[in-house]
Amino acid sequence: MKVWVDTHVPEFFRRKWVLVVGLLIVWFVIGRIFRGVHTLDLPNAQDTPTTAFLGDMAANIRAARAENPIFVYVFNPFRQGIESFIEVIRLTISEPASGGVIPLIGWFGVVALIGFIVFATSNWRTSLLSMVLILGCGILGMWTYSMDTLALTLGAVILSLAIALPIGIWAGLNDKVMAAVRPILDLAQITPTLVYLAPLALVFLIGVAAATIATMIYSIPIGIRITAHAIRSLHNGPIEAAESMGSTRWQKLTKVQLPMAKRTIILGVNQTTLAALSFVVIAALIGAPGLGEPIVRALSIRSIGDGVTAGIAVVLLAVILDRATTAAVVKSNQIPLTGQPLMIRRIGLIAAGIATIVAIMVSRQQLWAAVFPDALNFNDAIGGGADSFTEWFTTTFYFFTTTFNETFTIYILNPIEYLLADSPWYLTVIMISVLAAIIGGRTVAILSAVLLLLIVWIGLWNDTMITLTQVLMATAVVMLIGVVLGVAAGRSEKVERALKPFLDAGQTLPAFVYLVPVLALFGPTRFAAIVCGVFYAAPVVVRIVADGVRGVPKEMVEAAIASGSSTTQVVTKVQLPASKKSLLLGANQGLIFVLAVVVIGGLVGAGGLGYLVLQGASKPELQGKGLAAGLAIVLLGIVMDRIAHSSAKRS
Amino acid sequence: MTITTESTSANESADGKEPAISVRNLWKIFGPTPNGVVGTPFAELSRTDLLKETGCVAAVRDVSFDVADGEVFVVMGLSGSGKSTLVRCLTRLIEPTSGQVLIEGEDVLAASASRLRQLRRTKFSMVFQHFGLLPHRSIIDNIAYSLEVNGMKKDKRHARANEVIELVGLTGYANHYPEQLSGGMQQRVGLARALAVNPEVMFLDEPFSALDPLIRRDMQNEIVRLHHDLNTTMVFITHDLAEAMRVGDRIAIMRDGAMVQIGTPTELVLNPADDYVADFTNDIPKSHVLCVQDIARPIGDRSASTTQPIESDVIVRSVMHRIMSDPDPIKVIKNGQVVGVVGREELTTVFADDVKKELTA
Amino acid sequence: MRRNLTKRMAALPLLAVAALVLAGCGDSVNDAASETATTDETTASETATEEAAETIACGDVVIAMHGWVGYTASAQVVSEVAKNALGCNVEQTQLEEAGVTYDAMEAGSIDVIVEDWGGGRWQEWVDRGAIQEVGPNGNIGLIGMYVPQWMADENPDILDGTKLNDYADLFKTPETGDKGAWYEGPPGYTTIGEKIIEAYGLNYKVVSTGSEAALIELFTQATENKTAALGYFYEPQNFLAQVPLARVNFPASDWTAPEDASGLTDYPESPLIKLATAELMASGSPFATLLTNFSWTNADQNAVAADIEGGMTPEEAAQKWIDANTETVNGWLAGTGASIS
Repeated sequence: MKVWVDTHVPEFFRRKWVLVVGLLIVWFVIGRIFRGVHTLDLPNAQDTPTTAFLGDMAANIRAARAENPIFVYVFNPFRQGIESFIEVIRLTISEPASGGVIPLIGWFGVVALIGFIVFATSNWRTSLLSMVLILGCGILGMWTYSMDTLALTLGAVILSLAIALPIGIWAGLNDKVMAAVRPILDLAQITPTLVYLAPLALVFLIGVAAATIATMIYSIPIGIRITAHAIRSLHNGPIEAAESMGSTRWQKLTKVQLPMAKRTIILGVNQTTLAALSFVVIAALIGAPGLGEPIVRALSIRSIGDGVTAGIAVVLLAVILDRATTAAVVKSNQIPLTGQPLMIRRIGLIAAGIATIVAIMVSRQQLWAAVFPDALNFNDAIGGGADSFTEWFTTTFYFFTTTFNETFTIYILNPIEYLLADSPWYLTVIMISVLAAIIGGRTVAILSAVLLLLIVWIGLWNDTMITLTQVLMATAVVMLIGVVLGVAAGRSEKVERALKPFLDAGQTLPAFVYLVPVLALFGPTRFAAIVCGVFYAAPVVVRIVADGVRGVPKEMVEAAIASGSSTTQVVTKVQLPASKKSLLLGANQGLIFVLAVVVIGGLVGAGGLGYLVLQGASKPELQGKGLAAGLAIVLLGIVMDRIAHSSAKRS
Repeated sequence: MTITTESTSANESADGKEPAISVRNLWKIFGPTPNGVVGTPFAELSRTDLLKETGCVAAVRDVSFDVADGEVFVVMGLSGSGKSTLVRCLTRLIEPTSGQVLIEGEDVLAASASRLRQLRRTKFSMVFQHFGLLPHRSIIDNIAYSLEVNGMKKDKRHARANEVIELVGLTGYANHYPEQLSGGMQQRVGLARALAVNPEVMFLDEPFSALDPLIRRDMQNEIVRLHHDLNTTMVFITHDLAEAMRVGDRIAIMRDGAMVQIGTPTELVLNPADDYVADFTNDIPKSHVLCVQDIARPIGDRSASTTQPIESDVIVRSVMHRIMSDPDPIKVIKNGQVVGVVGREELTTVFADDVKKELTA
Repeated sequence: MRRNLTKRMAALPLLAVAALVLAGCGDSVNDAASETATTDETTASETATEEAAETIACGDVVIAMHGWVGYTASAQVVSEVAKNALGCNVEQTQLEEAGVTYDAMEAGSIDVIVEDWGGGRWQEWVDRGAIQEVGPNGNIGLIGMYVPQWMADENPDILDGTKLNDYADLFKTPETGDKGAWYEGPPGYTTIGEKIIEAYGLNYKVVSTGSEAALIELFTQATENKTAALGYFYEPQNFLAQVPLARVNFPASDWTAPEDASGLTDYPESPLIKLATAELMASGSPFATLLTNFSWTNADQNAVAADIEGGMTPEEAAQKWIDANTETVNGWLAGTGASIS
């Protein structure tokens, strides 16, 4: 009958929890007594010395843009170069040249060209799927927006890979280079997308170039990381063999290492591409043309239909890019064709190539093939349907969602926010540092204390704590969902298959897209931001947990069953403890993903640092505060990441 | 520390030619201060003490030996004994800390990077435990790799590759890919690749350890056959004494980076230098290793059997029954000359255990 | 086998080049657009190109689009006139207002803002020679704090801002604890809520809504479900015609610029301003003339906005208004040599 006594948990672990709970009680009591004292609460429009300093700096940079040699000879030409490059792609598929009606290639030609490229890099099935999906973008009434997004994504990916692949390869070959880039990669992983925008806009202004550069800065680290990993994780055997046969370093690289790493590198291309796509949508905030535009507009003038159709179009593009690159990975894994199949494929390629050329010519000469026909445009029906569905949903569930929202806010969200944000700041700093010490050890505790004090010094303490509250809440919910669904998916393939489409969609849909419907359901509240964060982060965490549970050795589970454990006991006593590392990794990823979205929650009333970033972007007089808020977000991200990381390492 | 059995040094072997490989005082130290060990008192420390004092490990410790032209020289030892590091030091896949390596009279350690590449492309080749085949290349392109990096034209290198493919019995597999072949076949590719350049010296690093026992036996025979046909000098690394005995002309036994004993199989079995070597050789029935000449003694006052004499290089085991069943010792001849006799006496003194086993079997 | 892959890859650029060469030879729809006679009504821009040939070329114009319907109405009417009468190639780009758009104008990615609310916050860009004021667009903007009409009907006092504290309890939400919720405008909008609260010692807490959609959602639900709401809104805005709101008034104020707005106690009425890049204004483009002349009333804007919200596309709604107001439009076109009929 002493089921709850888990003898597998080591003594120190239990004591650790006692410590944590005790600490929280002490915090709560002291915080209650001193509530509202020294909270460093600051009106939105008010500067602190640090933010004012940053504001002056920003103003100086803006003032320098017209004449300073660095701008005149470096930044501005660079910006214009990127802009011209993207312009070439846009003129080809999305934007008519001056005085024209269609871009260089009409929609029909674009569909054919995409089909051909995918066919050449993967197989005809994926090619067909891509053509259907790209047609879907037109049917949604989002043809031109989709083409803009595609053009910008492709442009950014090409430029990103041109930088990421060489650096990644170099970092893969050379430990010193790896050591030099690693901190940058780590930081890039933590920094939420929104934070990139403001400082970049300061230097590269607003428009296609700024959006492309921001996208590159976001996707390059991902490319570098995976490429370096691809080189580093190669088996040494063939490489040593090549060396023993007298290869030069270049021969070794080009004839052995790169071909062997190709599969993983293509995976890196895949990840870079998807990251770029999701960023291009958000980059609408700094002038990226494309699907982000209707989504941003939907947020402003509440046209849910447009937001939803654009969101679906983003997913369709994501699926095309993902499938095409994944199919290329699979293909690179297969033994190359020979003999007759090869002949068939070559003939197929030639035929497809000719068909594509014909389609492109037709698309330039025939109006029906040039401009996406209205007869195929079902935007009104789809958008209208989404509108009325949301209308119906919000009206029907208004009471339910409101009650749920209010209950959660009053009984969970507010008490925690009081604890973090309404306690005297020094109490919170001390308590977080002590918690960090218990969870992650002394180094992390000192790092946390220093970074938190830095946030205090910047002057955005209260807003940071408001953001932290939302991040913690959302992460807690994400972990709950992650463990429940992750265990279910890890234990049963059926469940996993059922969940897969949702996880895929959840991971490809840019966070931006859910803001509109969530806003309709929950109003401008912190809860809305938390819901968005949960939507965004849950799929990743479910995947990680499911992976962990599946990775538990079968013998362990069998042994537990053989000794008479119930299903619950198998889960709680074997599978979860054995996949603890995955759980902690999931929590770490969850925190980072949630942070990225909760910041965007500034657009739906969540306040906090995200709002300040957005405010700073629009209001020149508060730009310094916006930049400072971005800095605070990064610092907060580092604190959370390091604490989660060290606890994972310690276990 | 090094025990070199002078009597079998290649310098004095048969024809007195210059050795194919000559290694002197070779060291390889891993750790923070690799150059602060050799030539200092640290060099005398035991493995554990060295690690404690300097944080360094001596993977190869003052090794010297010679390999004669056309000889199969086996280096044997348990895992961690330094044998794999040693073979990599010889071709500088791992850069030795100090010492001298001469191959065909050329100082390998002094070779420039490009000269070293040239040597690797033309003079030596290596076979690896886990094959090290390039998964993205077909068999023929794997085999032609070193010819390719040496700039040979495609037609020529493919022609040569096809020759070796035939030589190792892989005809018909030229356009397959490594993953389509079994382990044994893959290692045949590894062998073919090493043979493609027509090397003067081949290094084989536990080439058959990853294979099934039956296939391993096949491959050992293949090596013996290839060596018989091509007479290439080989340095063969293994942890399996039976394999060493089967393929090796001489065997070097390594422990903790140092050579404990170098000798012919017979010498190792008859005169193990220490308990470590004896431990290795104990499991080998001596009669499987020794030839009759190893145990033959002068006839003395005994009367030799009138039955047909035995050739001196016959393995004892194969004639054991004949000797035991004959009351008189049998004559042993070499080149037609009687060099001694073997009888029950000789057998029982040397093979007490073996005889018991053999008779009860 | 790698050879095959390389060959395949090599085929791609080859194909692209081939396609473009072939395409270059063919008559494209674009060529047709500029060559065909006006009678052939295949595309909208044909007529435009035709007429543009008679006047000074207008070229490309990028108009910033901001996130409120009134703005869309103004921008769309200007766009339609520019396209149809002047043959401009008009592009519209959705962007947050103010700083973001000013930077875009400095970068050359945006040419025009047809309606800006900020009192001189663009000055720095004007000083740098990037932006030029093009004068008021005729609309008068009035920001304010609003409650749903039903609240005003039940508590007439509530529209007196100084008495808001009496009603703070009504506006309590879980978001604001024991204070009333003061739903503030989106991050880009001109907002002084915190200052008003401080000036009158109001027991309210600012909630940053983040977007206009949130405010519209708020008032819609407050009206439908008879819940309390105090939020930022403004006119001209056609939403006021659909969901009745009442403005809460504070004692008279003196508005100048946000940076000297410390004594500010209520939002003033302010004329809305057109802005353009200095480059566009100096180019002699007929669009610059059109923009300078463009001016209409709040009622005009609301009419177009109402049609857009009623389900017309912005193009249709703008064209409808243009057709009904040819005289006004021709007034805007004075000096360009073009006109509509």
